[in-house]
Amino acid sequence: MSSSTPTRPVEPLKSGAAPAPTLKILGQEQHADNPAQKFLRDAAQKSADIVHRDIIRRNMESYQAAHERGRARFKDWEAARRRCQEIKREAVNHLDKYLLQFEANVTARGGRVFWAATSEEACAYIVELAQRHKVKTVVKSKSMVTEEIHLSPALEKIGVTAWETDLGEYIVQLRNEPPYHIVTPAMHLMRDQIGDLFRERVDPNLSKTNDPQELVAAAQRKLRQAFFSAEMGISGANFIVADPGVIAISTNEGNGRLTTSVPRIHVAVTGIEKVIPKLEDLATLWPVLATSGTGQPVTTYGTLIGGPRQPGEADGPEEFHVVLVDNGRSGLLASAEQREVLHCIRCGACMNICPVYRHIGGHSYGTIYGGPIGSVLTPHLRGPEFDHLSYASSLCGACTTVCPVRIDLHHHLLQNRRDSVEEGHTAGGGRAQWKIFSKAMQSPRTYALGGWMMRRGLRALYALGLAGTALDPMREWSKKRAQVPLPKQSFRAQWRSGLGGK
Amino acid sequence: MAASNSSRELILERIRAGLRVPVAAAEPSPALSDAFAPVENPLERFQTEAKANLMECFLTADAPRSADQLVATLRSLPEGEIFVQDAPSLRRLLEMANPQRAVRWSSEGAPREASQATITLAEALVAQTGSIFVTAACGGRGASVVAPCHIVFATTDQIVPDLYTALSGAQKQGRLKQHSFACMISGSSRTADIEKILVQGAHGPRRFVVVLQKS
Repeated sequence: MSSSTPTRPVEPLKSGAAPAPTLKILGQEQHADNPAQKFLRDAAQKSADIVHRDIIRRNMESYQAAHERGRARFKDWEAARRRCQEIKREAVNHLDKYLLQFEANVTARGGRVFWAATSEEACAYIVELAQRHKVKTVVKSKSMVTEEIHLSPALEKIGVTAWETDLGEYIVQLRNEPPYHIVTPAMHLMRDQIGDLFRERVDPNLSKTNDPQELVAAAQRKLRQAFFSAEMGISGANFIVADPGVIAISTNEGNGRLTTSVPRIHVAVTGIEKVIPKLEDLATLWPVLATSGTGQPVTTYGTLIGGPRQPGEADGPEEFHVVLVDNGRSGLLASAEQREVLHCIRCGACMNICPVYRHIGGHSYGTIYGGPIGSVLTPHLRGPEFDHLSYASSLCGACTTVCPVRIDLHHHLLQNRRDSVEEGHTAGGGRAQWKIFSKAMQSPRTYALGGWMMRRGLRALYALGLAGTALDPMREWSKKRAQVPLPKQSFRAQWRSGLGGK
Repeated sequence: MAASNSSRELILERIRAGLRVPVAAAEPSPALSDAFAPVENPLERFQTEAKANLMECFLTADAPRSADQLVATLRSLPEGEIFVQDAPSLRRLLEMANPQRAVRWSSEGAPREASQATITLAEALVAQTGSIFVTAACGGRGASVVAPCHIVFATTDQIVPDLYTALSGAQKQGRLKQHSFACMISGSSRTADIEKILVQGAHGPRRFVVVLQKS
């Protein structure tokens, strides 16, 4: 990528403290306890956790079946994907026009639109609003952008209690954990764990049957009090519709409805890229989002909000604020090849299909957005210390095939890797290893010599009983896997001796 | 005093600078009819989809039968106040039904937290997805979410074939210019956040009843 097309944010989110001592892992410049090192440690631990893998496998199989049924309901799923791609392409390629149109329409109904360049600005605006209105309790419906800007800790600092009201978000909030998945935040937990948690934190008298119906009812009773005592409701937005100037929120539980109906003030926090041109676009986007997110034909509540309570309306908040968050997104517009990353509608389909995500789980990424889209986006939003995520992929391309807006995700991961190398974020050792590998791959003689030395060397090493010791180059591989059987001949020799003819 | 918005111009400037970089031309977008099959029989389709959405849909022949259905639904609910959208057609229906319960009309304010049911009209019914489209004119925001049971009284001529027709109709009539809120409701409140097991009635109505009167 040329220097005239920067993809890093102009003002990085984290200015960063003094660098810690450096290590070198997988060709990346590493720091003690830095995100890359933590990722490797957590990913290794989670991928060896059979119970965790089993939970995720069952969840994903259930999703997969629903997703297939959902796709079959379309006359042509590919045509629907292409329509979504074009809607988002039109919106992002005219982002300024549509955002201004949205702002004008919301303002005309008495709403307020605030533009936040950074997470700090977004939080400061909401904190000031809460202080001005003497807010003590806030109810939140699911919003990944509020996670991204760390809104809840900012509110807690001024003494405001923030309740997550989506059931999955509420569960992980009680556990002091970040969401595991952008659509199913508590996917990694079994009902018995949730039952124990609820008896400890929600209702000590809850029966030990851990029936999901009872668990949901217990959360509902508790959160009902929060809804009706909160002065402020904070939501995200799945889409912001330029004409007629409304936010669109998709929820199944109804918590988003209560959050935006009952409290005196409603604040919607959303990324600038969520804009779409017109209301009719939802006729395609709503069914595609629901199918990709959960396999449903359409989400239970497709809510549209364009302002505070209007004269003659029975209820609704007195104030309506929309916080448009940039936080590095506008930097991606200048990249001709990666601008389409801003088309993402946060359905989670790429995570569900990703073999890496299925093994290492959502928390190992150490970021708000996990899986393929998170690995593409996070280095742009949070800087080069997250470049390692672009390597958290087998490049199988499954993510690209399921993306409902047809983002070429696996190629963007490759582009991120290339940019990371070109911008000098990789360690010298790593570059040297790749150079040697490249030379060997281009020279049959060198490749054959390397293979011969490896076979002979490993055979000798294993004969001496040194497998798994510091001298074994396969030690890391064999730690959690069966030892690789050593072939007597190279593949090329086997081919010549008849393998190719079979 | 609200925080100043000095970043507005900065963000717009960044966006415009980024957009000056040319990108590949867009491919022609497929038509909506390429992606979604046409809806052949809207009434039948609505009933099928509504059932799949776990709604209770009762087709009635006339107003007295609708009143009977309303009475039957209300009898199945616990004692307590109901909230009703203040509209002439619903006043007539309630008069016929005579539900023997305290009634709070939307003209008196928002539904109370303890409401046992809400009764509203709808802007349109969508056959493609079995959805009910409401705006703030249908009793307000809380009318479709606060109580454990939401009853919608509608007529078959309100059924439109698909989402596109419902949304473009609302747009043409300026429904979202006039009102601060609208919602496409496709069933009862639900969650599958615990082991992907479906539970009906999370924060919104557990029951969603449509009394659909023939036009």
